[in-house]
Amino acid sequence: MRRLLRLVLLAALTVWAWRFLAARRATHERVGVSYADGSSLVLEPGSTGFERLAAVARGALSP
Amino acid sequence: MDVAQALQELTELSAQVERAVVLDAEGSVVGSTVADERATERLATVARDLTTAAGELHAGGDEVTRVEVELRDGAVFVLREGGRTIAAVTSPEPTAGLVAYDLRTCLHAIEDTPKPRRRRAGQEPKEEADE
Repeated sequence: MRRLLRLVLLAALTVWAWRFLAARRATHERVGVSYADGSSLVLEPGSTGFERLAAVARGALSP
Repeated sequence: MDVAQALQELTELSAQVERAVVLDAEGSVVGSTVADERATERLATVARDLTTAAGELHAGGDEVTRVEVELRDGAVFVLREGGRTIAAVTSPEPTAGLVAYDLRTCLHAIEDTPKPRRRRAGQEPKEEADE
């Protein structure tokens, strides 16, 4: 029983460490737009607007 | 301060800004931190395309004042104010608020070209009148 508890604890720790490191490694990509009327929007990867603006911006980032 | 001076001050102050261009109300390049003309025009085109694409996302069709695209390889910022546009490329994961502040400061530092003074009919310029 003790051995099983240890194994579960070890597995939980491994999962937590993996998720922690993966989150740190992931780069934060986003698009923010503000308008003259004071409104603004934030687009996250996966949305159509994000992909369109990101594709345009990559033209300036490529060497 | 003219455009070249304002851009020089921007690159001196902001370590995150790698290159920047300033466009006038018509979208023509009026200043750049890049010597290469093709690179300047490429950034200017990106700035124009970004504002157009961002404008199409808004139902009200209001003017776009700021676009920031943060990607893995770097970020592109476009700010529009007072008829001028400034676009800049920064290193990855920039401090967005700080970069936007620096770009706005740069735009504010650019003075309008002084308008020629009106001269009354028949009035000679001072230098000529003194001779």
